[in-house]
Amino acid sequence: MKSFFRGFVGIILFILIWQLLAMMVNKSIVPAPVETLRLLAEFLFSAQIVLAAWETAWKVFLSLLLVMFIGMPAGVFLGLSDTLYDMFRPIIMVIQAVPVISWLSLVIFAWGIGWKGPVFIAFLSLLPISILTTVSGVRNLDKNLLEMARLYKVPRSKIWKDIYLGSLLPFIAAILDVSIGQAWKVILVAEYLSGGSGLGVEILRMRMNIDFPGVWALTLIAILLGITTERIIKLVLGRLSHQWKIA
Amino acid sequence: MENCLMVDKLYKYYGPLTVLDNWNLTISKGQRLVLLGPSGAGKTTFLRIISGLEEPSSGVVNSFDQKIGFVFQEPRLIPWRSIKNNLLFVNQNGDHKQILDRLRLTGFEDYLPSQLSGGMKQRVNLARALITRPDLLILDEAFSSLDLRVKASIMEDINQLWLENKFTIIGVTHDLKEALYLADRIIILSSRPSQIIEEIRVDLGPDRSFSSPDLLKIESQLIDIMCSIQAEV
Repeated sequence: MKSFFRGFVGIILFILIWQLLAMMVNKSIVPAPVETLRLLAEFLFSAQIVLAAWETAWKVFLSLLLVMFIGMPAGVFLGLSDTLYDMFRPIIMVIQAVPVISWLSLVIFAWGIGWKGPVFIAFLSLLPISILTTVSGVRNLDKNLLEMARLYKVPRSKIWKDIYLGSLLPFIAAILDVSIGQAWKVILVAEYLSGGSGLGVEILRMRMNIDFPGVWALTLIAILLGITTERIIKLVLGRLSHQWKIA
Repeated sequence: MENCLMVDKLYKYYGPLTVLDNWNLTISKGQRLVLLGPSGAGKTTFLRIISGLEEPSSGVVNSFDQKIGFVFQEPRLIPWRSIKNNLLFVNQNGDHKQILDRLRLTGFEDYLPSQLSGGMKQRVNLARALITRPDLLILDEAFSSLDLRVKASIMEDINQLWLENKFTIIGVTHDLKEALYLADRIIILSSRPSQIIEEIRVDLGPDRSFSSPDLLKIESQLIDIMCSIQAEV
């Protein structure tokens, strides 16, 4: 209850600062909170915006799924083998260092405008974090537990399920924690720059129409969707982890 | 009597360091043997070799393909698994209820290891070793971190279980009383490179007390031997 109250105070403080800024800066650049919220409510009933939000959301989910099913297993293999890790680390570092804008130029050449570019760029931006975090998880594994399992000749599948998965769960949660917000940001930028469809394209349209309150309202929608996605994924992960613990 | 373990000309080196120096030992089934020696004498290394966790540098170790239960110095329980699942992890078909009941852990099946005291975790460590129905129970300084009361209570449980099941016990410890309470044979080791320098038979019967005069007599004999080793060093 105390933390809810503190959070509530934080939101009020944020709106107050926003209002102050709106009063100080040109209103067409920083619109007042009330005006933005009114526009936000309007957008929530606009089929075009809802469709755009859906377009962006599935791209976010797809990129997260790719990260989970490619990045994490790759991290497990690299964590288990020093040779593989040493071989692939430079490549991971390069992927991590390449700016989003460079990837964008490449994907526009390769695929043109469409969903593939944003998903691919989000996937590449998140891949190094997911691989390196999973590697840390595997390397932090309690070797004593593995030795105990070896002594009692526990089947390999059981060791993976009970020891490896259990050790990696906090790392998977951390990867998702970082990745969700990042995925939304990257997809929006990619949509904005490489077109196609989605909230990024809608933000671009509002900007071209010099509709800054619209940009702000769409940004709020993106933030709310980001937070909601994070909550849903955390809830699902929490449930799955609980079921796994009592299984 | 049938043999449980045979060790012949066993050596273990770590690089230039000789840890085990020509060990020869035979242990019969159902015997309780405790190794007593200074730190670094390779006691744990020996246990790891006989349980297959490490290879000897040379020599022969024959444990006759027996089922081994290992009570580690630290409990090594899976932190995110319940006590019940920690036991079933090593033997899916084991009777966890009976073993938990035998070790006075009934009601804690669904607890996580972090919710138990040090003594209780060590009981679970013992329960996990017993659920495999071992022929050979290995105790690696299993009680060193426990207070005397908890230690005595767990050792009493082990003695009772040994009386019921007659498995072989091989343990290592620094604690003379612990050795005297558990063992039929006490092997005394020199410091590194460690050799077996003395063996003492403990014919005290199953019901032992820390304060019995017979136990105290053997204890003083042991202290003399240990002191003479220290003096030689």
